[in-house]
Amino acid sequence: MSDSARKKQRTTTRNSEAPENLRQLAGVIPKPSTPFRRASSAGLTPGSRRTPTVTIRTPGTAARTPRGGPGGRPAAARRTALTTPHAIRALRERSARTPGHVRRRSGRIQRETPRDALRQLSRVLKPNPRQIRVSPEPTPRNAALDLPDVEDGPDLVAPRLSMPLGDMYDDDDSFHEAPPRQSLLPDIPDDADTGTMHSLEFGRRALSEDPRRMFTSRVSERFADLNELGVDGDEFEIDGTFINRRATVDVEQLFDDAVDDALDDTTTEIRALTGRRDGHASDINLGVFGESDEPDEPTFRFVIPPRIQPQPQEQAPPDEEESAEEQHEDETMNRDVEMDDQPELEASDEDAPGGLELEGWESDHEEGGDADLQAYRGEVSAVDRSLLQQIPEPQTGPKKRAGRRRKEIQENKFGHLYPSFPEATVKRLATSFAKSQGTKAKISKDTLAALMQATDWYFQQVGEDLAAYSQHGGRRIIEERDVVTLMKRYV
Amino acid sequence: MAPTSLYPRNTVKKIVKAHADDRPLSKNVDILIFLNYELFLMELVKEASIASKQSGERGITARSVRKVRENCLRKFKG
Repeated sequence: MSDSARKKQRTTTRNSEAPENLRQLAGVIPKPSTPFRRASSAGLTPGSRRTPTVTIRTPGTAARTPRGGPGGRPAAARRTALTTPHAIRALRERSARTPGHVRRRSGRIQRETPRDALRQLSRVLKPNPRQIRVSPEPTPRNAALDLPDVEDGPDLVAPRLSMPLGDMYDDDDSFHEAPPRQSLLPDIPDDADTGTMHSLEFGRRALSEDPRRMFTSRVSERFADLNELGVDGDEFEIDGTFINRRATVDVEQLFDDAVDDALDDTTTEIRALTGRRDGHASDINLGVFGESDEPDEPTFRFVIPPRIQPQPQEQAPPDEEESAEEQHEDETMNRDVEMDDQPELEASDEDAPGGLELEGWESDHEEGGDADLQAYRGEVSAVDRSLLQQIPEPQTGPKKRAGRRRKEIQENKFGHLYPSFPEATVKRLATSFAKSQGTKAKISKDTLAALMQATDWYFQQVGEDLAAYSQHGGRRIIEERDVVTLMKRYV
Repeated sequence: MAPTSLYPRNTVKKIVKAHADDRPLSKNVDILIFLNYELFLMELVKEASIASKQSGERGITARSVRKVRENCLRKFKG
């Protein structure tokens, strides 16, 4: 720097005066090392035109290396120091180029939003945040109130009771449909004379009757009923097993139980009355209540499975049915004509009940997984439904279950075998639909099982409807117009 | 998943045929049925999501599906 300055001085100044100037410059130059001061003092330095070069030089250097030092100081120095229009223009350009400038402006605009003004105004008007103290008081109230409100506003106790019941049956309505039992109850006192036979019949009848009524129509219509049937079926099974046991053990107890049942409509009461029944009922009906009874159940199942195991799913269903029917008849010697009628009905139009039972049972399998019920519990439900038709089938149920998960073949009321709808497709569709719904697209195993059951019911419903349409049209083949007609029925 | 077909056409045919008392299906009926099934499933998922939201649950739960499926099936009943 100093050398270049000297050279310039030499070129400008005369040779004789050079030494003096050099000396002066030597004295002056050390000072210019600090740029700002130099600017003002530089003017005082020798009056030659070149003196301003020193001042200019410092800003020029700064301009050359704008980025080097901390931006704030040099900028301030320049603003004060810069006098030449070129430097000023350069400064402007630089400031315009820097994005920071724009950012500041945008920030300024954002700061200046009316909201800030209002906020400042509010701060000025009410500097004290006392209001915050007020808010905490209501919050505890809200928290306390919210819980009851969300769950059940009016009654705490009643809703809780209903909730477990709903879980048990999957449908509250179905549970309340107990009246069939009531109708049976009056019969019991009449038959009470015969004692144990009636008591056994009572339980079986109630269960069997309800499903038949239900089955006359579609399975889909009686979802709740199916669940109930499952419960009832458990009782049936239990009764069947019990019948053997009871006959050997105590007839009087059975009679007493029957009386108690007549008195009490609710299954829970029945459970309380009979310990064995309780265990089964709890397993089938309740996810909550069942646990206590569970220990008893496993024993029953363990007894049953060995029989079942020899029979694979794939075995001819008709054989199983026949054997089941035979067994059923033998066991149901005491049962009413209705029980005997079942096989006949199956053969006739009302075969539906049998087929429905089968389907229901299948659906139950999936549901069992959904309902958090343990695998054996699901088995029980399946057994129950199967019991309506046959006793042996329930035994086969558990094995079938395992088989189904891979690739299940199901049998419907007509005795036709059909594959189950693949879960992967259902899951894929449901996931995409859930995404389109905007809800959480994740579908749990339980949910998928519920969807699968709905799918089974749907296809059963559609198949029956289409068959009815085609039959009505005097055709044997299901045509597209049948489907279109079905779709037009959409409510 | 990639190689899997859009939907198991033969399976749908077999299922419907079995439920329809072994009545044969004409050419494209299974496609219509599957489309109808998709509508049904969409309805089911929609209703289930609504039900789950009403009960304060997240996403779709098995419980909400069970609650809703009966009404959904009724809607698609012939």
